[in-house]
Order: sequence, then C-alpha cells, then structure tokens
Amino acid sequence: MQTAFEKAIELILSGDAELLNILGVTARMSLSSSIIALLLGVPLGLLLGAVKFRGRGLLIVINRTLMGMPPVVCGLIFYLFFSGVGPFRSAQLLFTVEIMVLAQVVLITPIVAGNMETYASSVAPAVRETARGLGLSGGKTFALLLNECVYQVFSAYLLAFARAIAEVGAVAMVGGAIAWKTNVMTTAIMEYTNKGNFSKGIALGIILLALSFAVNIALSLLQRRLSK
Amino acid sequence: MKIRAFTKTYGARRVLDMPETELKAGGAYAVIGANGSGKSTLAKILAGVEKTDGKKDVGLGLRTGYMPQKCFAFRMSTKNNLLINANEPERARELMSFLAIEHLAGSPAHRLSGGETARMALARLLMRDYELLIVDEPTAAMDMESAVLAERLLARYREKTGCTLIVVTHSLRQAERLTDEALFFDSGRLVERGPTDEIISSPRFEETKRFIELYGA
Repeated sequence: MQTAFEKAIELILSGDAELLNILGVTARMSLSSSIIALLLGVPLGLLLGAVKFRGRGLLIVINRTLMGMPPVVCGLIFYLFFSGVGPFRSAQLLFTVEIMVLAQVVLITPIVAGNMETYASSVAPAVRETARGLGLSGGKTFALLLNECVYQVFSAYLLAFARAIAEVGAVAMVGGAIAWKTNVMTTAIMEYTNKGNFSKGIALGIILLALSFAVNIALSLLQRRLSK
Repeated sequence: MKIRAFTKTYGARRVLDMPETELKAGGAYAVIGANGSGKSTLAKILAGVEKTDGKKDVGLGLRTGYMPQKCFAFRMSTKNNLLINANEPERARELMSFLAIEHLAGSPAHRLSGGETARMALARLLMRDYELLIVDEPTAAMDMESAVLAERLLARYREKTGCTLIVVTHSLRQAERLTDEALFFDSGRLVERGPTDEIISSPRFEETKRFIELYGA
C-alpha cells in the first residue's frame, strides 16, 4: 500500500503522459458539462421556484425524479439512441467526449434546477411582496430576484462540478473509457484497479480529490469576497 | 374612496369579511385588532399584494405604497435599497438622515439589525409619492427613539403629499398620534369604526372594549 502511494506521488511529479491526457479529457468533459448544466438549470430553477403557472407542480415533481436518475440508466438511454440501431446513429457521437458531456448535462441539469428552485421559492415571496409594495415593475422585480439568487449559483455550480467530475456510470457506457480518447479519471481508476495497477489508480484518486478541493476553495473564496 | 365588499379565505378558514367601506381621500386611518383579526390581510389586499376570494377588484386604483410587517432588505447597500425605488440620491440622503441611518448608507442592508431594517424599509418606501400609503406595524421592531422619528416622518410625509394613510397597529397610542379614524377588527370582521380617540375612550362594542382594556393598559 505504502509503495503504491509512493509510486503515485512519483507519477504525479514526473508528469506521466497518459495521466496528463486523462486529466485533460476529464477537465474538458466536467467543465463543459457543469457550465452547460448551470446555464440551463439556473433559469429553469428560477422559473420553477419563483413563477406561478399551470403545470408547475408537475414539472417540479418531474425534475425531482430526474435528480435521482441513476447514471447507468442515463448512459443506457444515450447508448441506445446513438448506437448503430438508434435514431441518432448518423450523428456518430458514441464513444466521443461530446456524448459524455451530453449525458452529463442530462444528469446534472435537474440537480442545478432543483437546487435553484428550492432557494428561489424560499426567497421569492418576500422579494415579490416588497417589490409590489413599492410599486416596482415586473422586470425590476425579476432583476431583484436574480440578485438575491446570485450567491446560490455558486453552490449550484459546486454541486454540478462535483457530480460531473465524480460521475462514472454514464460516461463509461457512452464514452467507452478508450485510452487517449475518452478515458477520464473515474473510468481510468476502475480500469487500473481491475488491472492491478494500484499506483496509477491511487495517483488519479489523489488528483481527483485535490482538484475537487481546489475548486471548492476557489469558489468559496470568491463567494465570500462577493458577499462582503 | 370606496372599498368594495370582499372576503378572504385560506383553506377552510375565512380570515376576512370586509363590508363595503368608504374612506376619505387624504385621511389617516388606524386598523386595530388582536392577532388573527385580519388586519394584515386587509393591508395586503388593499396594497394588491394578496388577492381576494374570486380575485375581485377592490376598486381603489390608486398609486399605493405598502410596507409589510416583515421587512425585507435586498442584498445590496442600504443606500441602493432606497435608490431602487426612486433614483433620487438627495431624497435618499435626507430620509436616511431623518431616520438616523445615514451612517449605514454603504453597509450591506441584509446585515442590518431588525430595527435598522425597519427604518431602512420605511425610508425606501417614502422615496416615492403615493396616493395611498399602507404601513403594517411600522415601528414594531424599532426602539422608542426610532419609533418617534418614524412617526414624525410618516406625519410629515402625509402633510407633504396629501396621501391617504392606513396604519395597521397594536399600539393604541400610535393610532391616536398618527390617525384621525380607527377601524376595529375582530376575527376577520369589521366590528366598529369611528374617530380614533372616541374608539379608544368610549368603545361601543364588547369586543372593542375588551381589546382596549387589554392593549390600552
């Protein structure tokens, strides 16, 4: 165990080419999917949390159901849609980073939307009452609501990124964990462990945790600075 | 000014049964009553924040300003909270100075204390000229000194704008100081109305007497 840790540190310090490639693919996939999920999930969450319309309750239930969707189910659906017998086979996206991003967006967007919906529904009544009491316009009221929710966006992004970087089921199914192409940290850890190459697995595990820690620290600092 | 008759029900509970009522434009009215008597619901409906049963129009159609019982500070500086209502920095400075919160102009409003938030909310409301001004327990969170300032400011605003003022309050002394007429509510019903000092000194109905005894002490 100790030797595996020592080897892992050595690998990280030596800048192993395969390791760097895995890191690059992981960064590309998780940053893209978390940002797209944020762009879709934030307005959707605000709409569900702050605007009253027919069918809102049903949409909230559907979103909450999707929040718990097992990644392998999502991966399976994408696999079937984009495989040789699926309706989207001509797109030829199977086993690419693009389809991994798409699958993750479907998995993560409901989580971001649900997070924003909970927060917006708690703050919207007070914002609406105050704005209406002052006689402010609908546009100004919405801008004020957005302003109230700005800090929650950071929490939503943290959630999205954490889910994206740690996700394994869906990306393994649609990406195929192809070395030098679609292998990301989580799929690579599984692969190395299966092969008995624990040092590479541990090295990736350390990097995964360190990255997650760094993103959390950076966003928390930014959030604290902005809230002053 | 005529308020059309309306009701308000939450679930199975009727919280307000308001008969058709006339108010004098430019008058000052106290809405008094115990907790759960329907005072705040009335204020919210008149302000257009809440809807009546059947979404009936109460028929006021006035430019109305309303300060809720629970004041909310937008996540920005105290000064910007005022400017969000009307972009008049000089008026904002004057109002903050009157309510002794000028030193908090640059502070984040969501970090103010309860009393400071109430003063900020009142100043924010008075940034514009309204035809009808409704304030729900405006000084409940304030200390004595701030409450005096707030009452003075409300009286001055009314004098300057000629607005109709509705004050929802538990304080009979405040009702006497700020208003000419009082409307007493009990369990969602308007029990009696009349000149504020008369309602307080010689109430006609048993419910009003009991309330005056309890809150006038």
